[in-house]
Amino acid sequence: MSAVATLGETQRRPGAIIPRIQPPLGSLMIAMTVMCYLATLAIGALLLVNRTVAGWTSELSSEVTVQVRPLDKRNVKADVAQVKKILLATRGVKSVDVYDRARSAALLQPWLGKGAILEDLPIPRLVTVVIDRSAPPDFAALAKTISSEVPSASLDTHRRWQAELTRLAKAFQWLGLAILLLIGGAAVLLVVKTTRAALEANREIVEVLHLVGARDHFIARQVERRFLLTSLRAGIAGTIAGLLTFVIVSLFGGLGAPLDLAQASRGLLFGPPETSRLVYLLVMLVPIIATLISLITARLSVLRILHEIA
Amino acid sequence: MGTPVIRFENVGLRYGKGPEVLRDVSFEMEQGAFCMLTGASGAGKTSLLRMLFLASRPTRGLISLFGRDIATLPRRDYPTLRRRIGVVFQEFRLIDHLTTFDNVALPLRVTGKSRSAYRGDVMELLNWVGLADHADALPPVLSGGEKQRVAIARAVVAKPDLLLADEPTGNVDPAMGLRLMKLFAELNRFGTTVLIATHDSHLIERTGMPVMQLVKGELRHAA
Repeated sequence: MSAVATLGETQRRPGAIIPRIQPPLGSLMIAMTVMCYLATLAIGALLLVNRTVAGWTSELSSEVTVQVRPLDKRNVKADVAQVKKILLATRGVKSVDVYDRARSAALLQPWLGKGAILEDLPIPRLVTVVIDRSAPPDFAALAKTISSEVPSASLDTHRRWQAELTRLAKAFQWLGLAILLLIGGAAVLLVVKTTRAALEANREIVEVLHLVGARDHFIARQVERRFLLTSLRAGIAGTIAGLLTFVIVSLFGGLGAPLDLAQASRGLLFGPPETSRLVYLLVMLVPIIATLISLITARLSVLRILHEIA
Repeated sequence: MGTPVIRFENVGLRYGKGPEVLRDVSFEMEQGAFCMLTGASGAGKTSLLRMLFLASRPTRGLISLFGRDIATLPRRDYPTLRRRIGVVFQEFRLIDHLTTFDNVALPLRVTGKSRSAYRGDVMELLNWVGLADHADALPPVLSGGEKQRVAIARAVVAKPDLLLADEPTGNVDPAMGLRLMKLFAELNRFGTTVLIATHDSHLIERTGMPVMQLVKGELRHAA
């Protein structure tokens, strides 16, 4: 019987009710890819800034400085020696490095240049102190002791710089989050528009589905499937493109500045497992969140539109 | 006597601000009834059927389906009611990118049935309408008559309680037309209420079923 002859053919999975190729979904695919690419870049940049600032603040918090100013009627060398003695006797101080006049002058060279002027100037002397971060000294007491015993000396704990850097890092974090939220919001708007366009393009099919007794949730599921695949593909493509950008920067980029972008990118992607794991985890969330945004928005939009057109 | 499957009471319909296309239409169909609806083109046959499958609402009067007043029927109950109604559209309304098999199976698929559960029924029906060999064909490659048979198979596949058909034999040869009418009669024998709109007087004569005639929007002759 012919019915039996063709049975094998119809054993395949049922055809997609909403056609796979949809012009509105093509545009969504491109736009979502770009958004996921930007989101990946934003997350990467955010992590780079955080890591760099964390590195700087860690260096600053493990080191304090004592500045000894050359005052009239005081012997700088004796004052420096006295400061060194106080520091070495303080608990929590690991090591002390005294900058002699030449090294102190060298620090000013970038601003004042080489020449006689440096020799004539009363150059303050620096003493850098590496502290034990697990058991730091009592900075208030230390500052008091130094200033009372050596009036020309003052302790600088770099707290102000640390606070400034932390504030900067926080500002970047908020900026990054704002960018991610903006991208998410734009994605929602885009999916709403595309859903409407997709339903409009398939109005005849939606009507037939209604007339054969399909519930709105069944129709929404058919539409969702198209958005699921489109967003997932776009998410993965955008994220891979974002990661590739960092790989390219890490291989060929580089500004030569203290914060070398190439080096930072390398650290981000190929750093120790405990840091790179977080990077990859956050980046992997991009396509997942993009797909979720797309699915939920498409479903809610479809249900609302179906209610409107019924 | 039980609740009528269809009840029209002084039903009037107009589109926008135009004239009434249906005026004071009143009739009833009991369960298991078989009736032909006839009238010239533009008499209002399709408009009457559209209200029966909930595609439009009357501007006045009362329509009740299976004992439920459609004016007060909440939207969420439409699918339940529509699943009890099979419709053959004059313009077929097949989904072009779905195969003949998938088009016919659509009313079963939307209820959540699995493919394996309905495969046998769908193939049997396709065989009955002579399209088993075209199970994997897409509607655009089918002739008008073949499309019509797919539309009929889709309308009857879920064994509806009410079958509405708008010119169901308009594109098939007389022999196939008779065969399709036999299919409707068979469904009717098992309790399906059938209302067929046609202006084919030969078909009406051959079936010998009661006839309702619409003339310029008014039901002139209710059998």
